[in-house]
Amino acid sequence: MTIDYHPNSNFNKRLVTFKIRSSKLLNIMWRQRWIYLLILPTVIYFLVFKYGPLWNAQIAFRDFKPLLGVFDSPWVGFKHFEAFVTSFYFNQLIGNTLIFSVAKLILGMPLAILCAIALHETWLKRFRTFVQTTIYLPHFLSWVIMFGVLLVVLSPGNGLVNDVIKRFGGEPIPFLTSPAHFRWVVILSDIWKETGWSTILYLAALLGISPELYEAAAVDSATPIQRIWYISLPGILPVIMLITLLRMGHILEAGFNQIFVLYSVPVYSVGDIIDTWVYRQGVLQFQFSLATAVGFFKGVIGLVLILIANKIAKRVAQQGLF
Amino acid sequence: MKNWKYVLIAVVLVSTQLLAACAQEPAAPTAAPEVAATVAPVEPTAVPEPVDITLWAMATVTEAGPPPDDWIAYDRILEEVNVNLKYEILPTGSDGEAKLNAAAAANNLPDFMQMVSASNDPRGALYNLVQLGLIAQVDDMLALMPERTQKHYNDPLALSLSTFDGHLYGLPEPPPIPRREGLLIRKDWLDKLGLAVPTTPEELMAVAVAFTEQDPDGNGKKDTYGLGGFLNGDGMGTRFDFIMGAYGVAGMWDFDDAASFGLNVRNEKYPEALAFFNSLVEAKVIDPDWPTLKRDDFRARWKQGLFGIMWEDFAALSNKSNYTPFDENFPDAEWVPIPAPKGPYGDATYGVYTGRGQIFAVSQKAADEGKKEAIARLLEWMATDGYYLLGFGEEGVNFIIDANGNISTEGLDPTKAYTAAEFQPFTQMRNQLVFYNSTQEIAARYPNWTTINGRTMQPLTYLTFYQSQPWVDGRGIQVILPPANAADFLRYYTEGIVQFALGQKEVSDENWAEYLAGLDSLGAVEYEASAKQALIDAGLLK
Amino acid sequence: MLRVRTRDAIAFQIGVAIFLSIILFIILIPLWRVIVTAFVPLDTYTREGIPFFLAPWDWTVEAFRQLITHSLFPRALLNSFIITGLGTIISLLLTIPMAYGLSVKNLPGRNFFMILILFTYLFSPGLIPVYLLITRMGLTDNFLAIILPPAVSVYNTLVMMRFFEGLPDELREAAALDGANEFQILWNVMLPLSKPIILTIGLFYAVYFWNEFFTPILYLNDHDLMPLPVLLRNILISASFNEYVEYDAFSSSALESLKAAGVLITMLPMLAIYPWIQRYFTKGTLVGGVKE
Repeated sequence: MTIDYHPNSNFNKRLVTFKIRSSKLLNIMWRQRWIYLLILPTVIYFLVFKYGPLWNAQIAFRDFKPLLGVFDSPWVGFKHFEAFVTSFYFNQLIGNTLIFSVAKLILGMPLAILCAIALHETWLKRFRTFVQTTIYLPHFLSWVIMFGVLLVVLSPGNGLVNDVIKRFGGEPIPFLTSPAHFRWVVILSDIWKETGWSTILYLAALLGISPELYEAAAVDSATPIQRIWYISLPGILPVIMLITLLRMGHILEAGFNQIFVLYSVPVYSVGDIIDTWVYRQGVLQFQFSLATAVGFFKGVIGLVLILIANKIAKRVAQQGLF
Repeated sequence: MKNWKYVLIAVVLVSTQLLAACAQEPAAPTAAPEVAATVAPVEPTAVPEPVDITLWAMATVTEAGPPPDDWIAYDRILEEVNVNLKYEILPTGSDGEAKLNAAAAANNLPDFMQMVSASNDPRGALYNLVQLGLIAQVDDMLALMPERTQKHYNDPLALSLSTFDGHLYGLPEPPPIPRREGLLIRKDWLDKLGLAVPTTPEELMAVAVAFTEQDPDGNGKKDTYGLGGFLNGDGMGTRFDFIMGAYGVAGMWDFDDAASFGLNVRNEKYPEALAFFNSLVEAKVIDPDWPTLKRDDFRARWKQGLFGIMWEDFAALSNKSNYTPFDENFPDAEWVPIPAPKGPYGDATYGVYTGRGQIFAVSQKAADEGKKEAIARLLEWMATDGYYLLGFGEEGVNFIIDANGNISTEGLDPTKAYTAAEFQPFTQMRNQLVFYNSTQEIAARYPNWTTINGRTMQPLTYLTFYQSQPWVDGRGIQVILPPANAADFLRYYTEGIVQFALGQKEVSDENWAEYLAGLDSLGAVEYEASAKQALIDAGLLK
Repeated sequence: MLRVRTRDAIAFQIGVAIFLSIILFIILIPLWRVIVTAFVPLDTYTREGIPFFLAPWDWTVEAFRQLITHSLFPRALLNSFIITGLGTIISLLLTIPMAYGLSVKNLPGRNFFMILILFTYLFSPGLIPVYLLITRMGLTDNFLAIILPPAVSVYNTLVMMRFFEGLPDELREAAALDGANEFQILWNVMLPLSKPIILTIGLFYAVYFWNEFFTPILYLNDHDLMPLPVLLRNILISASFNEYVEYDAFSSSALESLKAAGVLITMLPMLAIYPWIQRYFTKGTLVGGVKE
């Protein structure tokens, strides 16, 4: 490779265009100065309150000793990551975690969207307000309370569901302690509790669609289904895409609070997830470095998935994040 | 737009809060100097400055909150032992453990604190903090508090368990009364069906079947179970030890002697015990929710008369407040304690007692600041001059001592009695730092009372019966530290056992050998060896 | 919205109503259960557990009375209101500008800022690293320790950004031509059009702060600062540790009833707030915004 020093070389041209471009860039930036000023406090906030802890999170690569502090604790590289990845139940933990989080996403999301559309479509105004307010309330029930409810509904002794099964001559099913059924209990109870809550967001999105579009559809005498298919759904698609993308980033979060309350020894094999393992191994035994390392592990997986999902979203629907 | 006003107010609020926070920052590491400053004028002369002590301890009654700032005990502590006490209540269980661990991680522990452990292993918590160099040695404190040492720190074993590398690091408070749980049966059900008290696993099974199928409560519905219980720990937990004990394999470890020491699952009688338990499950005579039930649900269920045989704490059963709901439902019912059933090889064990009590510790930081002596003064005072004040309140106002020397509330304003709900904030330290199971205390805590149809309930007779039963001394478990892969090992250990008990896996020689092999692949042999060494080092295994 | 009452449309409406009724019914089961539990009298509870329907004469507000008359209740309620109010305001003040800034597609460095915040969404540092920062800042026993670390949620920011993106560009351009600066555009043009999403995100923040109990336990040592969820938790724990509390019953309600009543009490403000928010869900949307 030779380097061309000729005065009219490409290099100089590029330099010139770079100068022009950068002055253009500066120009644009100057015009947008108010926006930079607007976001400045939040950026500072992020540097202090989000990156500050992340800087401390280097304990994932150290053997954290409180007396030595974060920065003087001995460096151990990937020891904690290894401890997690080579642990006895690693594959099962990842599998269970993925099953729960993916199932909650692909079963829960369409239902929430459906509810939002139904609420948006209905003509009964009072009914809508009532339904809307009611279905979002279960979000406030803690999982401890939900466990009590599930016990009443599902107990093989005197639970409602099993009463019905017994009445039809069936054998009672111990839903909460049977490995064959436990995953469904987790997934469906999560949908039960959270669908109403996630409906809010889609409803807000539906309300952001310009009424003119619906008026035009009415003029063209579109059927309700057509209206939903060609106006409502495309109207909230950006939000749906965004939420799917973000959920991809947290694919290894399967709902610690729920599992921790609902699971029991007989269903560990189908219920134990990464976070419950970390709780038993890390937090209870003063292994904060390990807990932080697992957090990073989840972040890396999330990062990879969100990058892929972003690519796909951009290509398919021009709806990427960056 | 008028909204800007609100925004302005918000901004001002935020900035003032931020400023306040910044202003506090330099003061944070040292404990409240301004408190000392306000105290100083009261004692102008030769008296040394009062020592600031921050104490973190759990509450006796969590709902009641801490004592108010003008609590008389604070003044007396300041006057009599020259300590400026700041008492902060630690949350219970995993919340408290997280709080303590976080403070430890930030090297920000209080001067004097209770070890909190969600898994009921305060010694393990202490050990962790000692390893991190955050806890001070307290050997020299005992001599400074002779009376307290005699009343509270008189158990050589408890002391040795808080000793690491030859130094005492924790102050072991007397445990709650040991061997306080036991096996109970509904005598009214037995009588109605004309059955005798079961003495062997087979008879237990027969009675359980009868309780399940012969409508012992006579309501015409098949809505009862022979047995109730729940899973509360590793393996089969502690609530079914009487069954495992009939085969000589109660608890996780075999503590008999150094030669036989190891995991109980090594014993060939262990699968037999599980097979028997599984036969109870198969016969559907045990409340089918037992593997997932929580303790509170379990307690609600026996009060509803759901089952006739159970394992329960004597106070949770028979103290007035606990028994009354059951009494109102079933005034003619009666729970009687029964002995441990005897298994086919003549084994009978009631349970394993671990002697775990609360442990308090002094932070290294406090020791460096020379606070150990003041803490010892405070503790001695709690066991002497301050004992009644912290345990029961003021004599003549909150309690009286009657002619027999018993604590009583007779003739006092009931809202001021030490037993009143309103008074609980003032005796929050009692279970953690004050009580030591004296006869007078026990009589005050577990009084006799009369049921609706005139029967006298005597909580202490249950206790006495329980304590007379054959228990395994499992105090050694305290020195056994969890293996490095605890989450995996304990899960495998427990999951396998419960699968056999539930019949998810059939108890066969082949399956059992496979289970044990899996346990070995997770390091069971090494774990047993290190546990054995620890026990021998502690002089607990011969 | 125009309503054309064709036969199709009416059939569709019936379908929608049936669908919503089924959803409502399913979701009401646990809710109903909790309500019954909260009102069940202690003796009914110990006799037969919690029935599915309470007899009209057989209910009690004892559990509510017991919680509300607790001596620490008013203080805890006040603390909760302060934390929730202050927290929501701070959160919105930090979230809205960021969301707006990111919604400007041609902002130089937009991707940089996007990655800056997304990174923190993916990698959560965990309990101890945050604790170290907060205690070093001296925020122990300060509500800001509860409020600041979670004050901006990346999720909420991006959702709000997406809504801003959905607003027509002409609005901004027209305002810019009129000589408005970005502050004025955001304040006078964008915000009035975004009430539904701002209220929704505000609700998300408010609910988070209202329910939060763990960080108060961690950072607040002074009992006078405890918010409601912590108090309720303490009461419930106490009720379930009764074997060591031997004196007279402190509880004249079943533990289950206390739990349920506690949940209903915490729900109440949220129940009041949501219909109010819904008013803005129908008003103040884009209607007319573009035409003017």
